[in-house]
Amino acid sequence: MIFAHMKFFSKIKYPILKAIDVSGLTFLSPVVRLCYGEEPRVQMKKISQWILIPICAIILFIFLWAYGSTVVKTKSGSVPGPLETLKAGESISKFGNYEKAKEEAYTLTGPERDEALKKAQARLGKMDPIVKAATDQVGGAKAQYAEVIKKRTSGMTSRRDALKKSYSANQSARKASLAALADTLTPGNETAYENFMKEVKDHTDKTDLEKEELATLAKEIKEIEDEKSDDVAKALFAQTRAAEERQFLQKQIDQLTTQNKGLKIETAQAKIQEDARVLLTLTGPEAVKAAGKIAKARSRLVKTEESVYAGPKTLGYQIKRSILCVFAGFLIGAFIAIPIGILCGLNSTFMAAMTPFIAIFKPVSPIVWLPICLIIASAVVPSPDDSAFMDWLWEDAWILNHYDINPAFIASAITVALCSLWATLANTALGVASIDKDHLNVARVLKLGFWPRLFKIVIPSALPLIFAGLRISLGVGWMVLIAAELLSSSEGIGKFVWDQFNNGASDSFAKLFVVVFVVGIIGLLLDRIMIVFQRLVSFEGSPTAI
Amino acid sequence: MLELKNCSVSFGPPSNRVDVLKDLNLTVEKNEFVAVIGFSGAGKSTLISLLAGLQKPTTGQVLINGKEMNGPGPDRGLMFQNYSLLPWLSVNDNVKLAIKTVFPKMSKSEVSDKIEHYVKMVKLDHAGTKKPHELSGGMRQRASLARTLALDPEVLLLDEPLSALDALTRSELQDQILNIWENDKRTVVMITNDVDEAVLMADRIAPLTMGPGATLADEFKVNMERPRARRTLNDHPEFMRLKTQITLFMMGLNKNSKNDQKTPLIPMPDIRPRDFALPSANIRLKNKNNQPTTAA
Repeated sequence: MIFAHMKFFSKIKYPILKAIDVSGLTFLSPVVRLCYGEEPRVQMKKISQWILIPICAIILFIFLWAYGSTVVKTKSGSVPGPLETLKAGESISKFGNYEKAKEEAYTLTGPERDEALKKAQARLGKMDPIVKAATDQVGGAKAQYAEVIKKRTSGMTSRRDALKKSYSANQSARKASLAALADTLTPGNETAYENFMKEVKDHTDKTDLEKEELATLAKEIKEIEDEKSDDVAKALFAQTRAAEERQFLQKQIDQLTTQNKGLKIETAQAKIQEDARVLLTLTGPEAVKAAGKIAKARSRLVKTEESVYAGPKTLGYQIKRSILCVFAGFLIGAFIAIPIGILCGLNSTFMAAMTPFIAIFKPVSPIVWLPICLIIASAVVPSPDDSAFMDWLWEDAWILNHYDINPAFIASAITVALCSLWATLANTALGVASIDKDHLNVARVLKLGFWPRLFKIVIPSALPLIFAGLRISLGVGWMVLIAAELLSSSEGIGKFVWDQFNNGASDSFAKLFVVVFVVGIIGLLLDRIMIVFQRLVSFEGSPTAI
Repeated sequence: MLELKNCSVSFGPPSNRVDVLKDLNLTVEKNEFVAVIGFSGAGKSTLISLLAGLQKPTTGQVLINGKEMNGPGPDRGLMFQNYSLLPWLSVNDNVKLAIKTVFPKMSKSEVSDKIEHYVKMVKLDHAGTKKPHELSGGMRQRASLARTLALDPEVLLLDEPLSALDALTRSELQDQILNIWENDKRTVVMITNDVDEAVLMADRIAPLTMGPGATLADEFKVNMERPRARRTLNDHPEFMRLKTQITLFMMGLNKNSKNDQKTPLIPMPDIRPRDFALPSANIRLKNKNNQPTTAA
């Protein structure tokens, strides 16, 4: 309706719809059609089905999740609900921002550095009262809550104390009567001994019962005392936030002053100049010593100039490295799977030779491949000091720069490749084997040689299925990668999961929930990218994926 | 010159061999237009595969210019029954693939000139950049024709090129093919199942008998002057005579083949269908006078 009368917009209507179709975001097309006023009722029906209903489902899911999280209690506290997860996500992103600011601070120089320093110091000056207020708040909340707990348990504790007293009195009374009974025993009188035994048993049974009752009561009291208060939790959260910010500001100031790269370089240069001036006055062995010192200082200076900020890894970095790793593994897998798949499709003898390997290796779990890859990779991959190539990868490779291509990374990538190549292999073989016979006859009539036939007929015809396979491979690879990183301690999302699992912080459980969504959304995006590629190479009547 | 000498094609294991074609003899002179006519399933496509070299004869020889044929090649341009255009290439690119393969050393501008020439020849110049699936059946067949012609073949083999098209498109394409052939004479073998089409287009018509073990029966010569005018065709005595003669011959073949089939007769049980009609007088009355009955 809105766009229908404008010439420009009516011109781009079909390109937009086609782009939506290619990208697989078909749920958007009724919205576009509605904007052009095309059959509003039909479009509204589609919109309510494909947009409103999913939104309702999501809302319903969030409510169920919020309810469910209050029901299930675990050793690491209650299951995080949507709100906790959101907060954890916020704190992850805050941590990332802090690290980014520190990294920036490390390289700042001149007036920019001064300005940043002034700003950070001003903020830090304000932080102390804030932190103090937050700490007071926590103390207050805790004291208040302790009061509440005390009130709730006071009846129970006094009852417990009274019981304890009366039970111990009972016990000593029973013991005394038993001792008296024991004195009256005449040896040989069986009935008397039997009676005595009964009394003793009665006494122990009663004592056990009393102990049990006291223990139950103590447990109930403990349970109440252990209950966590929302107010305390909130106050603690605010305190942590404030403390974190203060700590960040201190560290940032460090990066701007003592740790600052520019300042370090300046002082080092000044020192070298000074030493050089002194050197000019020296002769003999002293000159040798001073010159050596200067040379050492110079090489240290070069290292400082090349250095980058070394802080803890943020989730953003782990995500980037995981994506890099999954694509590395995916490409390795594709380079193996596509040629072998084509050969399998072209030649049934080769297919017969490969079938046992495919059948046996395909179901092998990443957990099995990973240690093998790790051992081999750490043995085969040289350290950057020994190999120029590794050094180049480590230091200068444009895209890999600062991503630490270590054996663990390579092992993870190869594991991804080994687990993900099968889908591509099978689909490529199928695509090549199921080429339309008429197209092959065309090749025969044209008398195409092997390579032209491969590149002009076979591969274009198999391409839709190859890409369908690649799409499945990338999905599998992404799933495998997280597990591989978790086990190999290769920096990445898997490592983040492992760190959070081992970390006892109050929100690490919630951070795992954040990771679920992060992994899911990235997987979705990867899939979408592959769908676009797949649609671009597809043609009418092309075979579809298996 | 294209020759089939005592060719047979059989399929299946030796114990259960089926002869599809048997003792085929055919000679096609240079620049002659020969139509092979036959029923579906008679083995027409096998015959054209034989001529194209896609199929080797089990016994006998296929000769081209007196030499034994050795596999398919672009000198025998085959136009496939179901177009066989490469679906991922546009019309122009399909033609280009053919030109590039046959003339690998041709310069870029020459190639594009040639593409334009052939695409124009089949009147597809407005749809050159379209993919096959965006075209109608007739347009696809024309694109296929353009690709075949672009090979500049010595022999043009047309495998039922028009049988998948509607009648109007069909006659239009018949005229186009004839036109192209008359302007640029070459040897043509066309497979068809349409007597009219065969008589209209060919110099000679070779009927293929019913399979299995089909062979070529005595040919009919078409003594009609060219160009043949479609409009006056039905008044042309020779056309009508040939058409009747061939049709009768083909129908005779069909009858013979049915007689030849030794399927045992299955006696039908002697039963009469029961009459489920309602004995209602109303319904009978209504239908009696051919009154329009309305649905209840």
